[in-house]
Amino acid sequence: MKKKISKKACGKLSFLLALQFAWIAGICQDTQIRGFAEVLAGYASTTKKVSFGLGEQDLFITSELTDRFSFLGESVFKYSAPSPTLFDISIERIVVKYNIKGNHNILVGKHHTPINYWNDTYHHGRVFFPTIYRPDLFGDHFIPLHTTGISIEGHDLGKLKLGYDLMVGNGIGSGETADNDQAKSVTAAIHIKPVDHLRIGVSYYTDKISKGAKDAHASMIVPVDIAQQLFTGSVAYFGKRFEFLAEATAAMDHSDSTATQQSIAGYVYAGVRFKKFIPYGRFDYSEVPDQELFFHPDTKTSIVGGIRYEINYLTVIKLEYGHTEDDAGISDRVTAQIAIGF
Amino acid sequence: MKKTVRTFLTTTLVILSATISAYAQSQNLIVISNSKGAPAELNRSELMAVMKGEKQRWNDGTRISVALMKASTAAGEATSKKVYGMSGDEVNKYWLALVFQGKVKAPVFFNSASELETYISQTPGAIGVVEESPDVKSKPVMVDGKKTL
Repeated sequence: MKKKISKKACGKLSFLLALQFAWIAGICQDTQIRGFAEVLAGYASTTKKVSFGLGEQDLFITSELTDRFSFLGESVFKYSAPSPTLFDISIERIVVKYNIKGNHNILVGKHHTPINYWNDTYHHGRVFFPTIYRPDLFGDHFIPLHTTGISIEGHDLGKLKLGYDLMVGNGIGSGETADNDQAKSVTAAIHIKPVDHLRIGVSYYTDKISKGAKDAHASMIVPVDIAQQLFTGSVAYFGKRFEFLAEATAAMDHSDSTATQQSIAGYVYAGVRFKKFIPYGRFDYSEVPDQELFFHPDTKTSIVGGIRYEINYLTVIKLEYGHTEDDAGISDRVTAQIAIGF
Repeated sequence: MKKTVRTFLTTTLVILSATISAYAQSQNLIVISNSKGAPAELNRSELMAVMKGEKQRWNDGTRISVALMKASTAAGEATSKKVYGMSGDEVNKYWLALVFQGKVKAPVFFNSASELETYISQTPGAIGVVEESPDVKSKPVMVDGKKTL
């Protein structure tokens, strides 16, 4: 039997909620909630129609728990056709950080794998993205975006402002609460910032992908055990006038049945700032051999050109053209995006 | 008539914005800190490392808390230009990106120098930048041997 809530009861409830919110705000002085969202409109040659669309809504919470402990949580809400509510919530990061000494920290939880600049810096912060869409390196799941585990990190050390990350995690094929095998993934990364606005980094990732795990596109089951190694290099320069970002990952997947298969994926981005306008371009390339069992065999080339207008640091508009050629054919798209932070 | 009003408003806005910008440029800024943590003197590169979140703790182990005037204030704009070499918007973006990456503790932003000064006096390890004024009672941290920036 349905009960209607009277206006009076509704008023009391609102008052209690307001009181509770004020109390929470009062005791959590070092807790901040921020977020990002985007709205898109575009034409795609594959569908031959113009569509408007909602992008992700990303919420992230930071909280200073003690002098040494802090917390960062990030959740994404996005459209998902199979979901009964048509929306899915995903936990992107839950990280508890302990500051050991100076700029050295231990982190536990679900992290962005510190494998390259884009994943470490932007991830779901679409207002920061220099282009509308992520590079193909991400869209094609060439790198493991998340790792649940423990890591030790340091940053801005010495004159070169050296940073390092050493992470041990559940690895590919695992769930959020348990590993799917006994092997652990290991990520080791270092970067330097020798001059302002420039960051140069390299990383190494290794994992055993067990038979039965889903492949990179989560569409097939990996039929045999694969020993994976990823070597990544990146150079990022975001100055007052010029922007440049180049990243590449070489993958070596070894299995008893296919021996070692070498794949490569990378991109180069460049932009020039004219006050609040930044015309930009990006070139993506990936090559995966036919015998590869984890990545989807393909040779793919993409070109992106666009213009970004930064109204302020929380509101950015982009208009972008993209052309992709792969084994499936040729596709073009034109997309406009409003990305905001709040 | 409409044209006259529009011209008047535009001119007023341009003059106002130029005045604020000139005022921001001419501001003398001082660095103040809590008695615990920060040394009495810093050189410019040490100050920059602290102000850009590149240093998490002072040498005595006290955690650093950065306090800044909001970019919408004249002192905030002056701080952005003189300390960071950026616009206020760029400073906000810089910090938001670092906090989002989980690298640093977010700075605390204030509307008035008195609020900022109170925060610093009550927070061990805190350091901030304010306009030089007789109302600011805290002892300034010397930067490259100078009292003002």
